[in-house]
Amino acid sequence: MSDESKRREETAGLMEFSVENLVPFGPIHPALKEPEYFKLILEGEKIVQVIPRIGYVHRGLEKAAESRPWVQNMYMFERTCGICSFVHSLCYGQAVEGLTIYEVPRRAKYIRLIIAELERIHSHLLWVGLMGHWAGFETLFMWVWNDRELILDLVEAISGNRVHKSMNAFCGVRRDMPENMEDRIVERMKFITDRAHYYREIIDTEETMLARTENVGNKINQETAQKLCAVGPMARYVGLRQDVRLTDPYAAYDEVPFDIVTRTEGDVRALLRLRLDELVVSANMISYAVKHIPEGPIRVKIAPIIPAGEHSSHCEAPRGEIFYYVKSTGGRTPDRVKSRQPTMANIPAALELLKGQTLADVPMVLTAIDPCFGCMDRMSFLETESQKQWTWSGEQLRQYGIKHYFPDRFNSPNPTKFKAVP
Amino acid sequence: MPHRRPGAAIPEMFRQMLEKPSTEAYPYKPIQLPDRFRGKLDIDPEKCTGCQVCAVVCPAGVITMIDKGTRKVGDRELPVRRPLFDLSTCIFCGECVDNCAFRALEMTKLFELATPNKADLIMRKAVEK
Repeated sequence: MSDESKRREETAGLMEFSVENLVPFGPIHPALKEPEYFKLILEGEKIVQVIPRIGYVHRGLEKAAESRPWVQNMYMFERTCGICSFVHSLCYGQAVEGLTIYEVPRRAKYIRLIIAELERIHSHLLWVGLMGHWAGFETLFMWVWNDRELILDLVEAISGNRVHKSMNAFCGVRRDMPENMEDRIVERMKFITDRAHYYREIIDTEETMLARTENVGNKINQETAQKLCAVGPMARYVGLRQDVRLTDPYAAYDEVPFDIVTRTEGDVRALLRLRLDELVVSANMISYAVKHIPEGPIRVKIAPIIPAGEHSSHCEAPRGEIFYYVKSTGGRTPDRVKSRQPTMANIPAALELLKGQTLADVPMVLTAIDPCFGCMDRMSFLETESQKQWTWSGEQLRQYGIKHYFPDRFNSPNPTKFKAVP
Repeated sequence: MPHRRPGAAIPEMFRQMLEKPSTEAYPYKPIQLPDRFRGKLDIDPEKCTGCQVCAVVCPAGVITMIDKGTRKVGDRELPVRRPLFDLSTCIFCGECVDNCAFRALEMTKLFELATPNKADLIMRKAVEK
């Protein structure tokens, strides 16, 4: 590659800015737990534009799903994320259940709700700890992660594993709630509620947290958030009442009383307050659910062959709305699975949040959206010579794959013109 | 508007200092595991019939069926197969255990599987029977 084209690749999409103003952030950066690259264009200390380059941890799960039986995909999609693992298998499972004629038993729905909410609590606690870590308040990080262990112990007692619960099955769950767990769960939820109130007090009064979170983050209004398709806490913290649990209830969310939390301040501290308030909501939901869980079967066994058709499902993960689409041709493996993770939808809003902020606040703001880059990475194409970017449809990608793996069938050499850039 | 209180977290700091440590003395003391803990996979070779269901459902490709000759059922020759486990790729989901109709498989509470030699994690129990 010539020097000129190398330079062009480095500055792809930045031709209107001089390279002197560019600060590369990532892909290997202490503030990011997963590799992702952000090109920050600065004017002095202030950020004027951010250009992301995603795809460093693209794993090709959707393609891998096409060659595996339905039930194996359940465990593969559970491993999409290492934090909110259950909700991925739940969403995929619901999409597949939509193709069958069976109903999920009510008790299974309650167990799904309990596990999903426990997962939300542990994910939010993990995030609050990380915020303390980036604010320089390491003690908060230690406290919060200590409390998180109590939740993980509960999850381990119910499911047998701390992170990858493997609780879901098609049309039900694999394990029943253990006996005599009710009191223990209610007691822990009361403890978590108390701790959430205490952390609310800390972030409202403690100097370190105030200095690092108050008025940090470019304030966006509801209209902008809607235009940028923000989901989950990123939509709720500007006042949008957007939550799949409320708007399109799944599992047992239509039977458990709850109300979602919204805030209007529009800075990073509002996100902290919102997520701490959500802890209380989740804890109350779990306490209600374990007391009112109905008796009955937990699973309907279904055949390994799923009827032909297509179906989609969406769920509220701790980071926002996730979406799964499945298409079956009546075989042992899916024809197509499409998944959309919340971080993917929140990236445009995060870029907007970064504008006008100082370079020192970038870790705080990027952590504030609760990013999970490993979940969301996608592939796009970039022709390095002409700076051209484009996307392909599924069919085009399939044709490219056939051409790549079976070049002789197309009577042409491997297409080398395109360089696939993640 | 919040009122700033320098040192708002100090009472909590003292409380946490006087509490017993959250960490456990593992490996000097045994660790408490819940009843449902999913650890290393184990097989009872006496119960295994070689039906292959575990190999079909395994999402991680841990189980390979090995041919062990044939057996005579009536006047038919049927192949005899036994599972070989490569536990280095096991994801501990327990799907094989759930699907084993003969209850030959179980998840033990062993979790110390680290080894410098990957071959140690290949379980030949059922094949060598």
